[in-house]
Amino acid sequence: MVTGQSHTLKAFDEELDQLRALVSQMGGLAEHAIREAMRCLMKRDCDGARRAVEDDRKIDALEAEAERQIVQLIALRAPMADDLREAVAALKIVGVVERIGDYAKNIARRVPEIGPSANIEPISLLPEMARMVAEMVHEVLDAFVRRDPERARLVVERDAAVDDFYNSIFRALVTFMMEDPAKIGEAAHLLFVAKHLERIGDHATNIAEMVFYAATGERLPDRPRGGRDPAGA
Amino acid sequence: MNDSGATLRIETPADARGGGPVQIDVKGLDFFYGKSKALHGVDLAIPAKAVTAIIGPSGCGKSTLLRTFNRIFEIYPDQRAEGEILVDGENILGRGYGLSRLRRKVGMVFQKPTPFASSIRNNVAFALSYYDRLPKSELNDRIEDALKQSALWDEVKDKLNSSALGLSGGQQQRLCIARTIAVRPEIMLLDEPTSALDPISTAKIEELIHEMRDRFTIVIVTHNMQQAARVSQKTAFFHLGNLIEFGDTADIFTNPRVERTKDYITGRFG
Repeated sequence: MVTGQSHTLKAFDEELDQLRALVSQMGGLAEHAIREAMRCLMKRDCDGARRAVEDDRKIDALEAEAERQIVQLIALRAPMADDLREAVAALKIVGVVERIGDYAKNIARRVPEIGPSANIEPISLLPEMARMVAEMVHEVLDAFVRRDPERARLVVERDAAVDDFYNSIFRALVTFMMEDPAKIGEAAHLLFVAKHLERIGDHATNIAEMVFYAATGERLPDRPRGGRDPAGA
Repeated sequence: MNDSGATLRIETPADARGGGPVQIDVKGLDFFYGKSKALHGVDLAIPAKAVTAIIGPSGCGKSTLLRTFNRIFEIYPDQRAEGEILVDGENILGRGYGLSRLRRKVGMVFQKPTPFASSIRNNVAFALSYYDRLPKSELNDRIEDALKQSALWDEVKDKLNSSALGLSGGQQQRLCIARTIAVRPEIMLLDEPTSALDPISTAKIEELIHEMRDRFTIVIVTHNMQQAARVSQKTAFFHLGNLIEFGDTADIFTNPRVERTKDYITGRFG
């Protein structure tokens, strides 16, 4: 969906390409951070989790660089129409990707709080949920780089499945806590992990809406809402 | 789970849109330079008391269109316009629409300042005395009023009898605007009014356009797209003598509907 015609001013095209590459790189790091935090959680790899927390700085640094490039692009190139929408979307997207990185970091931080032999059955549902949201992040940034509104729309549709996942994990963990109050602390941490993943799904959805607007100039129609969710999320 | 919230309608300020009644209604306008056709069946409804910008690459017909609104092309024998231009419902291209009446209603400012080689006062007084016989005190009031409206009064009030040629380019252009305003037209045509000016003079003219938009119907031709975006509420994009797209300026510059408009304003024109 990348528009065929290039700018008369080639340097402008190069700068836009560079910006897209930077946003894509940031997205790659955020996606990796989610997968890595989840790997550390499942393996109870505290050293790996510590490194994952430190790695979040790289995402922060890329956000600062992307912001600098976008402000410069707006000031020097005065982008219009789809170029303007893309620059503004990129500015918002890098802020959201940074936030996704923070959620992954928060998951990694909780790894030492879960005992090495904690046998909390609902934990087995988390890797699949993490895989889903990491994929959403991957897809939505791909859609941004390719200016593909259809791909963005499909990401939005996937969020309902993440919400369903969260609701069932919520119920399972609450049931678990009632049955085994001794493990409430650990289970509460896992509840937060599930909540972080659910929020990552929401943020990927927000990015998808920005990508759709940048590519088409139209807002995505509101999604139909399901029934009340028991987790009150 | 994204927050949905109740539907909230936020109205765009009326100020941002030129939604008034139509003052210049162009219908099926063709224009010819000899045998060469420069405008092809243009239909365009220009709202009253708003700024409409006409943009497009060189040779697209934007200045040609502007020159039909006051029939200035008539001084060249091989140029002719066909179709209708209704101003307040009356076809100005029709037989019987007097040129003097038209020029009183429609003022024009050109790319290069064109002051007369005379005093500042005479530059403004000339047009006034052409159309009206005014007593001296009223003439002075009208001159002062026109110079104030064109934001020039404070700079020239102590040297009204000095030559207009001694003014800077930006001041000369504002004097030309004062000269146009003095006869109280309803429509002002601006043909690239700042292309010969420095950025500060340009900003002053743009501010002036902004101030004047409640009182006049302004049509501005400009090569500078940022300027069109800054000063106008409506924008028309022309290419090869055809009107390609016309709409609210905010929409044209953020979300043009036609690919050719988008390519032009984003700098992708091949």
